Amino acid sequence: MLLAALVGAIGLLPWLSRTDPALTVLKARSADRDPTPETLRAIRAELGLDDGPWVLLGRWLGGLLHGDAGSSWVSGAPVLPGAVQALGVSLLLMCGALVVAAATTAAVCAPTLRLGARGRLGARRPGGTATAVLASLPEFLVASVLASVIAVQLGWLPALGWYGPQWMVLPSLALGLPAGAVLGRMLDDLLPGAFAEPWAMAAAARGLPPRSLARQAVRRCVPGLLPNLGLFVVGLTGGSVAVEQIFDIPGLGRLTLHAALAQDLPVLQTGTLALVLLAAAAGLLARIAARLLIGPALRDGALQSLHRPRPPAPRTLPLLHGGLLAAVIGAGLPRDPLALDTLARLQAPSAEHPFGTDALGRDVLARISHGAVTTLGTALAVSATALVAGLLLGLLPRLSGPLADTLSAVPPVLAGLLVTGIAGSGPWTPALAVAVVAWSPLAAHTSSLLLQERATTHLVATRALGAGRWYLLRRELLPAVVPPVARHALLRLPGVALSLAALGFLGLGAQPPSPEWGLLLAENQPYAERAPWAVLFPAAALALLGALAVTAAGGVRLPRRRTRSAGPAVPPLDQGVPPPRRHPERPDDLLAPVSASQTDER
Amino acid sequence: MVFIYIMRIPRRRLTAGLLLLPLLSGCFASLGDGSAETSDSSGSGEGGRLRVALAFPPTQNYSPYGYDAYNLSRLGVAEGLTRLDANGTAVPALAESWSREKGGESWLFTLRDATFQDGEDVTAEAAASALTHVAAAKPAPAAISGVKLTAEAVGENRVRVSTGGADPVLPLRLTNPSLAVFSPKAYGKKGTVNAVGTATGPFELTEVTGDRSAALDRFDGYWGGRAQASGIDVRYVSDGTARANALRTGDVDIAEAIPVAQAASLDKGTVHESNTARDTSLYLNTRSGVFTDPGLRAAARAAVDGATVAEGVYEGSAEPAQGIYGPAVTWAAGKRVQPSGRAAATDPDGKSITIAGYNDRPELAETAQVLQQQLEKAGFEVKLEVRTYARLEGDLLAGKFDAAVVARNMMTDTGDPVTVLDSDFTCDGSYNLAFLCDRDVDRLVATARAEADPAKRQDAAMKAEAAILGTDAVIPLVHLKAVTGVRASVQGTRLDPYERELVGVGTRP
Repeated sequence: MLLAALVGAIGLLPWLSRTDPALTVLKARSADRDPTPETLRAIRAELGLDDGPWVLLGRWLGGLLHGDAGSSWVSGAPVLPGAVQALGVSLLLMCGALVVAAATTAAVCAPTLRLGARGRLGARRPGGTATAVLASLPEFLVASVLASVIAVQLGWLPALGWYGPQWMVLPSLALGLPAGAVLGRMLDDLLPGAFAEPWAMAAAARGLPPRSLARQAVRRCVPGLLPNLGLFVVGLTGGSVAVEQIFDIPGLGRLTLHAALAQDLPVLQTGTLALVLLAAAAGLLARIAARLLIGPALRDGALQSLHRPRPPAPRTLPLLHGGLLAAVIGAGLPRDPLALDTLARLQAPSAEHPFGTDALGRDVLARISHGAVTTLGTALAVSATALVAGLLLGLLPRLSGPLADTLSAVPPVLAGLLVTGIAGSGPWTPALAVAVVAWSPLAAHTSSLLLQERATTHLVATRALGAGRWYLLRRELLPAVVPPVARHALLRLPGVALSLAALGFLGLGAQPPSPEWGLLLAENQPYAERAPWAVLFPAAALALLGALAVTAAGGVRLPRRRTRSAGPAVPPLDQGVPPPRRHPERPDDLLAPVSASQTDER
Repeated sequence: MVFIYIMRIPRRRLTAGLLLLPLLSGCFASLGDGSAETSDSSGSGEGGRLRVALAFPPTQNYSPYGYDAYNLSRLGVAEGLTRLDANGTAVPALAESWSREKGGESWLFTLRDATFQDGEDVTAEAAASALTHVAAAKPAPAAISGVKLTAEAVGENRVRVSTGGADPVLPLRLTNPSLAVFSPKAYGKKGTVNAVGTATGPFELTEVTGDRSAALDRFDGYWGGRAQASGIDVRYVSDGTARANALRTGDVDIAEAIPVAQAASLDKGTVHESNTARDTSLYLNTRSGVFTDPGLRAAARAAVDGATVAEGVYEGSAEPAQGIYGPAVTWAAGKRVQPSGRAAATDPDGKSITIAGYNDRPELAETAQVLQQQLEKAGFEVKLEVRTYARLEGDLLAGKFDAAVVARNMMTDTGDPVTVLDSDFTCDGSYNLAFLCDRDVDRLVATARAEADPAKRQDAAMKAEAAILGTDAVIPLVHLKAVTGVRASVQGTRLDPYERELVGVGTRP
């Protein structure tokens, strides 16, 4: 059903967006060619465009039944061989990226695992800054730096092409590092809960080696991440356009991007279909794997909650990040972000221009600071919308599961085009286009956590005491699920800001000379090697935002001497969750003590 | 040690991935023969293979009827009856000589002795048939759109090419790579043309790997002598930075169209600049909006400064514009006519305008921003609209913007100066971005179009140019240069202002 709607929507794309496919196909064939009426008429006749979208769609579907995905409108070559090859390349790249992501995740979680397995989580320093910075690095930036430093200047690895395993290393790193940081952060969020469960204490008391304990803890937490891993798999396969471009890799991302821009519908439909099928397969695998890992416990409702309500652990770190960000923004506000001076282009940081100048001689500091308000405002609004939508839809996994799987397969540019086609082009179109896709990982996260939470023993007990569904949802499920999902949303905030800018080239969203951060990064990318400051400072600001968002999720505390009160078995976790509000004064709230006794570990 | 356990996280996926690896390794592209160890080893001691990175991948499987024809021409694969030299005149290629008949309604071309790469002789029959196929192509190639072209063999080695009416520039038209001659074998039933091993140039297309790469071998039977290089390995790299990187790492010997931003990071000895017939200009919408007022157009002209763009945006890979025809059009320098009848500038008084630009070429977005500042200083209120070109053109041709910054090849398709004036600045023009409809301009362009003598045609074109500039409908900003990256050891690269040649007989790795 969803698949049919999606393919149908793609089939209608040119008619929705009122852009003549004959024109875009002509331009894809030869950019210099003048669109004379005769030429366009000839192309329309050649492609049979006058038959209308439904006939074309029907013809393509009919061919598909015989294993023929039609011919490309641009080149006239059969679509299927090219699409299969591109899919193969992309899958291979995705596997490489997953290996890197796994290693990154391992590195991120290693301290927690080491301490947790030895029952010394109390000694864990609340970190997260480095991970958040890594997670908010734009892929294209990592790719550019790797290509110019490792490949061109050091000559250690090939810079471009796709001819063998050594060509895989750099692109895999560029894709895998940020993805691994996000996954690692999510896992690291869950692990302390697992180590605090009774089995872990029992195992530790029984003298089980820390290795086994760590293994079991990972096993306990991974099911909550699997749906997101599935989304990553699909996202990396279809959405790594920037990396494919920089390393000149003939993958599916570029194929669908070019097809979307040229409105080469047979290619676009086939590419999207392949991605949707991949997404469905990944979703199914994730579900099966989750069942294998914790299936019996789910069935018997014998899980512990990984998200016990506990007092927040406020931190001083967000103050530092926030102060730094505010200082940068404040320092740049009196400066002019739009004043061009082409004589002072690409100047290195100096007293006059503390962050240097960009390709048109504008002050980078001024641009970062003036762009902050719009960037942060829109990104925050989109993230909040996505969070609410993700939570609500995550409550209805039957509906949201397939929807999230399908949407994750839609390349971002295509989503932008479809949204513009349906909703028209307005100031809110890019935000809408990003929000339409951004909720899906949050919903997947929500529903996988809910699934586990519903199977917890304290919930069974609460239910047995006669609690209604609404009560359970409000008092038990949401308090357990909202904080980690909210942290997840914050982690993705920089990514949202970048996606917003990525739609700029379709004419959606911020237009030059606006100093929007994503736009800053994009317009200075070609100069990344000559004027690294013009890219690095905006990227650093974005990373700072990511770090601020992640560390502030635990609450903020004014600097004062820390008091260590935690015993080894009672880890005071950094991911503070506000305690569920109890209303002892309300007489109907009889269940509260019961649930409290279930959730209070002491 | 903890790491080992954590590798479990995506283990299932990982194992699946590892199992798939052998399957997927078929997905690596093949490097092609000998391209890894080029230069010195292959080719039995006489000339190594050249490795070339081109910017525009073939879009239609090397069909000569579209843009791919230019790739075939640049790689020295295909050629037509005539060829365009650096001065913009038609010189012999497959045809040795030609003459006009019936007042220019038809031309008689005498062929030289040449062979196709499949071993067949280039006969009058074959050449005429090739041209007939081009004329029947749909959509018709740009060079002959609007011309009723017919070709017939006359005896052994002569071809008569006729056009519906008198066509004084037919030899120029035939220089277009789309009108290249292929062996009869090349033409398929459905109007397709297979360029592999069927053309006449010094290099023969032997292996095509989709739109990724291609391998070419020297064609020893070329009429113009044996090429120095034993073959060419072509890779299509659409990202400019990636092309520059390919040159810097030594993956390729020649990389075309290096972006301005990357030229500075290449070694000085490898950067070659050459004039092109491309201009970046500001087109003002004369049909609707603010710029219907000639006084405001004059104000805009007075406000913008091409020198700032040439220096500040193009870093010297462009020259401030002197007119529509730049230094690449060598004959234009001595024939310039001062524009006359320009309106006096009026005060913009804060009038709001929207300038469209596209970001397929990053310099254009930057140019638009420089113009924005210049026009705002002059008193306009300026908004920019920058998109990818495919998403812009529809609105551009519908006249939705007040002005547009566009880079345009002024000698496209035919090398005839009048063609572009006709399509860009006359009432019926197909790419009239300024929506100019001026009786005087139309008349002068029509006069130029009818002129047969090349020198007089150029004079007439320059007169029309002056009239167009007099309306201020277009403000030429800069004449662009092409930056080609060539390894220091490579000699004989052909840098052509008309962008039709790159590798030739004399190019040596």
